[in-house]
Amino acid sequence: MSKQNKIKTKKTSSYIPLDSPIDRMHPMVKIYGVLCLGIGCAAFPFLWLSYAVVAFLFCVAWRAKLLGRFSKFIIAFAVPITCMLLIIQGLYSPKNVTVLADFGFARLGLEGVVYAFKTVGTLLVFLGGFYLMTTTTYPGKLVTAMQDAGLNSKAGYLVLASLNVVPQIQRRIAVIQEAQTARGVEVEGTMSTRFKAFLPIIGPTVMSSLVDVQERGMTLETRGFGVKDVRPTSFVALYLTPGEKAAKKVLVAFLIVCVLFAVFWALRPVLGLGV
Amino acid sequence: MSVDTVIEVKNLSFRYAGERKQALKDLSFTVGRGEFLCIIGPNGAGKSSLCNALVGLIPSYFSGAKKGGVSVLGQDTEGTSVANLASKIGLVFQNPFNQISYTTSTVEEELAYGLCNIGAPRDEMRRRVKEIAETIRVGGLLRKNPLELSGGQIQRVAIGSTLIMRPSILVLDECTTQLDPLGSEEVFDIVKRLNKDGITVVMVDHDMERVARCADRVLVMNDGQLLAIDTPRAIFNGIFQSHGVDMPEYARFGAAMSGAGMYGGPALLTEREAINAGKAAIAV
Amino acid sequence: MGKNKKSFIQGIKDQFSVKAIVLIPIAVGINLVGGMLASNLKLPIFLDMIGTIVSAALAGPWVAALVGLLTNIFLALVSNPVYLPYSVVSVGVALVVGFMMRAGLFKKIWGVVIIWLASTVVSAALAGSVTYFVFGGATGATGSSLLTVTLIAATQEILGSIFASSMIENLIDRAIAFAIAYVILKYIPKRLRSQYSLDGTDDFAEDPDGSPA
Repeated sequence: MSKQNKIKTKKTSSYIPLDSPIDRMHPMVKIYGVLCLGIGCAAFPFLWLSYAVVAFLFCVAWRAKLLGRFSKFIIAFAVPITCMLLIIQGLYSPKNVTVLADFGFARLGLEGVVYAFKTVGTLLVFLGGFYLMTTTTYPGKLVTAMQDAGLNSKAGYLVLASLNVVPQIQRRIAVIQEAQTARGVEVEGTMSTRFKAFLPIIGPTVMSSLVDVQERGMTLETRGFGVKDVRPTSFVALYLTPGEKAAKKVLVAFLIVCVLFAVFWALRPVLGLGV
Repeated sequence: MSVDTVIEVKNLSFRYAGERKQALKDLSFTVGRGEFLCIIGPNGAGKSSLCNALVGLIPSYFSGAKKGGVSVLGQDTEGTSVANLASKIGLVFQNPFNQISYTTSTVEEELAYGLCNIGAPRDEMRRRVKEIAETIRVGGLLRKNPLELSGGQIQRVAIGSTLIMRPSILVLDECTTQLDPLGSEEVFDIVKRLNKDGITVVMVDHDMERVARCADRVLVMNDGQLLAIDTPRAIFNGIFQSHGVDMPEYARFGAAMSGAGMYGGPALLTEREAINAGKAAIAV
Repeated sequence: MGKNKKSFIQGIKDQFSVKAIVLIPIAVGINLVGGMLASNLKLPIFLDMIGTIVSAALAGPWVAALVGLLTNIFLALVSNPVYLPYSVVSVGVALVVGFMMRAGLFKKIWGVVIIWLASTVVSAALAGSVTYFVFGGATGATGSSLLTVTLIAATQEILGSIFASSMIENLIDRAIAFAIAYVILKYIPKRLRSQYSLDGTDDFAEDPDGSPA
């Protein structure tokens, strides 16, 4: 058991350790960033804001030394979904009134096209922000920050333990898979042989995992996990700098302005204001 | 309960929920302060169940039907939370990989995990981590990720995580079985030293030489029952072989010699005793 | 009314014992690894809900729901953030499966078939809704996106097409996942299972076998 398995496993955390100001930033600011920017853009009635925020995210990515990866991620997400939505919404949306182009079999409508770009813009803000947050934040630090902000310690356990457990199960799968191959279980060949290989690999994995569950529960129990009426403390301390406190306020202000404007814009006909 | 009794087990029986078989059958014994008690017996004898009962996991974690009771330092384990008992009695078991929290990224955080959960202040944690790191000899590993350690190293961290709650009794359930010989020795050395420093040790072990060498008393179990609890010399005189208990090599050697009429003394436990007995036999 | 609500929430809380909490990360691991193994073996299905089904059987619907949610969050983290909104699907399916198991349907083969069909309908409906309301029709990331576009072009009907394409995909996948989970659950040692049940009874064994001491 003590020898290390040298079997390659996919990583479960998307964190990329790079020394950058974004990496060092307090995780709470990043969480505020993703939520405030995302919800603000979703609420805001015009599509230019989302793209302005995406441009801002590119600047953040550059500061985080992740410009290349971030660009790749954005393009890989944006191009296919934009094409799909332009076809689905642009050609077939029931809201289409203004015709931009007529292809004979279908007509491209302005309303659908605008809707498609608005959806893509909002998604890019959310997903781009989420991507930057997870690639620049060490998961342990993220959970500590959330626990400092009042996150239940059980919830913190779930996130961190899942991150750490998955690679372990993967290693076990690799070991079982090797053993099964050595015993002559076919893992290649026709579809039905490959199907038959699945059960003898996943079965023992589940069984041994359940024994682990029991013992890990014992460990947590003896370590005082989830003791009632106690506020857990953390070993590592995290502090917000004055700049970070200010950044949090700016983000919240952005959200409030966006939502207020959205409400105003929606109530415009009721309030009797012209376009 | 006398002042020097730290564990008192009285008519303890237990059956796991969903099972017909009794895991523990009417066990009664006491453990004295500073004692080194070894529990031996074949697989399925109920050794682990007994350990779980000593630290309070039976009945608060494992559901089932329990009779009788265990009291640790005068406190009944039933009705006391396992976390509360952790400052009196600690448990380390076989698989090191199931004794880390999977939520920490460094060994020092891992050691402090139990203290975090009970809300200990940060400087208190730092002090205790430093102290414990020395005891379990992981000073150089404090900044490493626990998942990158070897089995023996993790097991030492597991002992540390238990000790950091400052228990006066340590229960070890085959805690060296899954380790390589070197890791196993390192772990056992620490246990021996802790016992010398006054910590009461209850240890389940299959290594009979080690049991013979270190135990003050040996408890023999089979089929959920307590067969005997006595000094190693009294236990290893041969009568328990039929119960699936292995004999230490030297005791077997002694038994063989007495079978041949060459030795008539008590059971042999150490190399020195065996050599002396052998010399004496040749001299005759 | 208020009293009822309280006991309902208390009931959910009771399901999250330390045993259940420890089960969750491991069930998430089984889900993810099942999915990876299926793709390693080049099987044309996901098989990423075996952990959800096992946890539903052992620890109840709400624990399973959390397993489903976390699985999707991790899929989003590792492979594609597109999976994030689809957490709704995993949570919904886990709840359906969990409650139907609590009702004792997993004990009989016909019950398993009912769970299978119900969960497939629920997941197709939820997945379709997410695809339509969050992504406006297609994600461009999954194989069924192309199927969706083809169906839309053929039938000129957005919502129905999305629903139909995720329905076909799910029926096959879930059938295999349930068959595997059924076999696995049959082999779990009784001691492990009975440690989870709140009242000492078993949720999926024919005979609880709890003879008195």
